[in-house]
Amino acid sequence: MSGSIEVRGLSRTFHTTVRRPGFAGALKSLVNPERVAKEAVVDVTFDVAPGELLALLGPNGAGKSTTIKMLTGILTPTAGEARVAGVVPYEERERNARNIGAVFGQRTQLWWDLPVRESFAILRDIYEVPEREHRARLGEFDELLDLSSFWDTRVRHLSLGQRVRCDLAAALLHDPPVVFLDEPTIGMDVVVKEQVREFLRHQVEERGRTVLLTTHDMTEVERLAERVVLINHGRLVLDGSLDEIRRKFGSTWQVRATLADPHARVEPLPGIALLRHDGLKVVFGPAEADAPTVHQALKAVIERYEVTDIAIDEADLEDVMRAAYVQAEAVSRAHAEVPSGARAEGV
Amino acid sequence: MNAVRIAWRITRLNFRAQLEYRSEFLMMIAIGAVWQVSVIVFATVLLTRFTGMGGWDSSDVLLIPATRMLAHGLFVLFLGRVHGLGRHIQEGVIDTYLVRPMPVYRQLQLAYFPTNAIGDLTVAAGLMVGALSRSNLDWTAGRVTYLVVCVLGGMLLEAALFTVVACASLRFPAADYWGRWLEELLGTFGSYPLNVLPRAVGGFLTFGLPLAFVAYFPAAVLTGHGDDTGVPYWLAAASPLLGAAAFLASRLLWRWSLRHYTGVNG
Repeated sequence: MSGSIEVRGLSRTFHTTVRRPGFAGALKSLVNPERVAKEAVVDVTFDVAPGELLALLGPNGAGKSTTIKMLTGILTPTAGEARVAGVVPYEERERNARNIGAVFGQRTQLWWDLPVRESFAILRDIYEVPEREHRARLGEFDELLDLSSFWDTRVRHLSLGQRVRCDLAAALLHDPPVVFLDEPTIGMDVVVKEQVREFLRHQVEERGRTVLLTTHDMTEVERLAERVVLINHGRLVLDGSLDEIRRKFGSTWQVRATLADPHARVEPLPGIALLRHDGLKVVFGPAEADAPTVHQALKAVIERYEVTDIAIDEADLEDVMRAAYVQAEAVSRAHAEVPSGARAEGV
Repeated sequence: MNAVRIAWRITRLNFRAQLEYRSEFLMMIAIGAVWQVSVIVFATVLLTRFTGMGGWDSSDVLLIPATRMLAHGLFVLFLGRVHGLGRHIQEGVIDTYLVRPMPVYRQLQLAYFPTNAIGDLTVAAGLMVGALSRSNLDWTAGRVTYLVVCVLGGMLLEAALFTVVACASLRFPAADYWGRWLEELLGTFGSYPLNVLPRAVGGFLTFGLPLAFVAYFPAAVLTGHGDDTGVPYWLAAASPLLGAAAFLASRLLWRWSLRHYTGVNG
């Protein structure tokens, strides 16, 4: 079964009541409520190929969770369509549920009062997994997530890290081709986080599962995702590989070199600006347009000058994403200011 | 068949889990029984102070709370988790139900074992035994069958009412409070022959909130008061059918509401 995700023009609008300020305002809202439409997701289009791990990123309230809820069949979109492993999730909820695994980091899908292993057995029956397959998969997950030390404990007595590891196993016990993870490592300590990341990497690389992950943890994105989709105010503002995003927003790198020849003529290189020149010490940075990656710049500097020492300072992904969010915010603002007629004409 | 097997397995595991917390388990049974104290007081006063009520003998009147209590106990046991859905919605539990290949309504009922139902059913069974032993009616197989069907119909009608409230909760979780009001109303008025109440109240409890169909009409039909209920005899006699129809309609409404579910966080 193909584990692809296809999203075309997906939109979801919620209708809420505006609360007017003050006591008089509250009374007025009671008598004459003002209803407004809030566009949580607007015309979002992207694909996830089978066996790919895509990170869906964005600030709080950007529309990530709403998008995942539509793809898991929890919510019905207002417009657009989505297919997950060939199934329209909100039209065939139960059929879609057999093809997907889902982990919502802040809530559990296990039975609160039962030992974890009993929950696993119930899920085995619900998904009709043959006993031999179930046992083999449980063994594999135990090896990767170290579950057996606490799987006879009731869920209500587990720590957060233990609980999420069990939730991950529960979501994959029926061998789904597509997995949705909504902030799976939120609140975990670094050791458990790494264990979970290793598990996810294994699921993508060895088992070929398609994973759609939302997280605010950029280390996680860096370690797991090759491609990122960024949404802000419900709109998709960026879809590209991590390298592309670094190229576009991570333009804060610097190459610091110590020259061997004090009389060398130092000048900018193609796409590389000379930021400082102090005796033998020179600092290069990206030029405004067509800046190369930091590694290309490093190569260019070494090829052009004889150096005795060289180092690079590169913005980490957190800085890159911050820059991307700031730009996305500016785009969203500009979008809101442009009249809708002009937008329709592709302005 | 697989669905029944899974439901039975989950129920057994949930029950076993409750048993492991001994004090909590016994306390919940006690709460279930104590909750019905108003019905027990009603029955005691009825039998010790009055010879009848609204033209009915005390022994006949006793059949009303007994039927209602038994229907209520079965509702709590089999379908009662639909009451209090708002909390599940606020905690996002419904979202996890929606990503499993099993009907959400069934998952809701299998969320935990309702230990308090044991207390409810114990009181209800005691009351029913008391009502039947004091009854002067000839309990033929037909009458017994009709009584059983009426108890099941009452259970379904109560489930239908709480399912409608649950549907409203899917949209507005605060609608859960209406469930508490409904529970209070069923407990307060469910034990009386409704002809002792003002006509407007009786009318409301028949056509507005159809409480009369849970136990009053069935008891009236069984005890020979079927022609004096203010509704045609056939309608009173069809109470269990109405319960089943109401439950089916409420499940259709549930399906529709679930399709329009918006969650709490958007």
